Amino acid sequence: MGMVLEKLPGLTKGLPGGELLLTTSDYFIDLGRKQSLWPMTFGLACCAIEMMASYASRLDFDRFGVIPRASPRQADVMIVAGTVCKKMAEPILEIYHQMPEPRFVISMGSCANCGGPYYDSYSVVKGVDRIVPVDVYIAGCPPRPEALQYAVVKLQEKIMKMSLKNNGLSTPQQEKGSRDINALKI
Amino acid sequence: MTNDELFATLQGRFPKLEKATVQVKDYLTVRIAAASELLALASFLKSSSFDMLDMLTATDHLGPVSMQGFIRQMNFNPFLPDGATPQIESGATTGYPYRPAMDLLWSFISIAEKARVIVRLEISRDATAVPSLVGLFKSADWQERETFDLFGIRYEGHPNLTKILTPDFLQGHPLRKDYAHIKDRFDE
Repeated sequence: MGMVLEKLPGLTKGLPGGELLLTTSDYFIDLGRKQSLWPMTFGLACCAIEMMASYASRLDFDRFGVIPRASPRQADVMIVAGTVCKKMAEPILEIYHQMPEPRFVISMGSCANCGGPYYDSYSVVKGVDRIVPVDVYIAGCPPRPEALQYAVVKLQEKIMKMSLKNNGLSTPQQEKGSRDINALKI
Repeated sequence: MTNDELFATLQGRFPKLEKATVQVKDYLTVRIAAASELLALASFLKSSSFDMLDMLTATDHLGPVSMQGFIRQMNFNPFLPDGATPQIESGATTGYPYRPAMDLLWSFISIAEKARVIVRLEISRDATAVPSLVGLFKSADWQERETFDLFGIRYEGHPNLTKILTPDFLQGHPLRKDYAHIKDRFDE
């Protein structure tokens, strides 16, 4: 707690007994939000193996507060790890809409970013950002677990910039991804 | 049981059976002349200890296929000048010349004999209908649906010959060499 107090911006003031803490609501909400990013447990291809390695004890995702959840209703972040087939696009969209807001999407690996080596295929979506807005992209085929953890760190930085005054709880970037989500009618 | 003994046994029952010109690995590869012989051969194999249908598939020998429709940049090498000879040259495999034919394959395994028989059948690309083996081997069910989905071969007598792999909106059979992709809502 001492470390957190040290980092707190704004006015922090302890009354006798230390029962009162003054800070901005944005900072406090964002702090709680970024320290418990629970991802939805699902993997689509070989990137999922690297994702599992991140969860395991050697790389230990738990220290970021990243604990995989088995239900989209308990999840904050969706890690799209692997090739998104056209047949899988609809379930992914369904999972995305079942997640409570604010929700974040990490696109992991070349396939999820842009289709990767399967760009010319008849069955692969050319990037998951055609169906859901993406917050962080990770390059690599597959990316190392460290890259995924770096993406989570970058997502935490992004969450710290979220503000209540920005039309509710999320930034325009989260409302609308890098490509127009409304262009796709499903 | 060696391949020759096995082939002699099969030929005693089916005199018109012949060995395929190209053998699949070390396994006995036989070729039947018409689709009507398949059911008799399969039921004979099942009764003579070849009671497991390992896999079935097909090959489309139409060719050569133009790379233009499949690959965006067929000469993707930044060190080559523009207009250089493409590095991807399609060519026929030895023993399998280009021809407008659909080559079907069934693989039967005998656990007891530790042997395998490959049965091949060449049919026309247009009249792609062969008898289904679901009545004899349950394992044929999904694989026949898969082969139907990707190659458009109709297995007559299959109880539920519907798509299994490709999404519903996909038109055509993608592994056919004359497949032309129709852009759907996920393409540009």
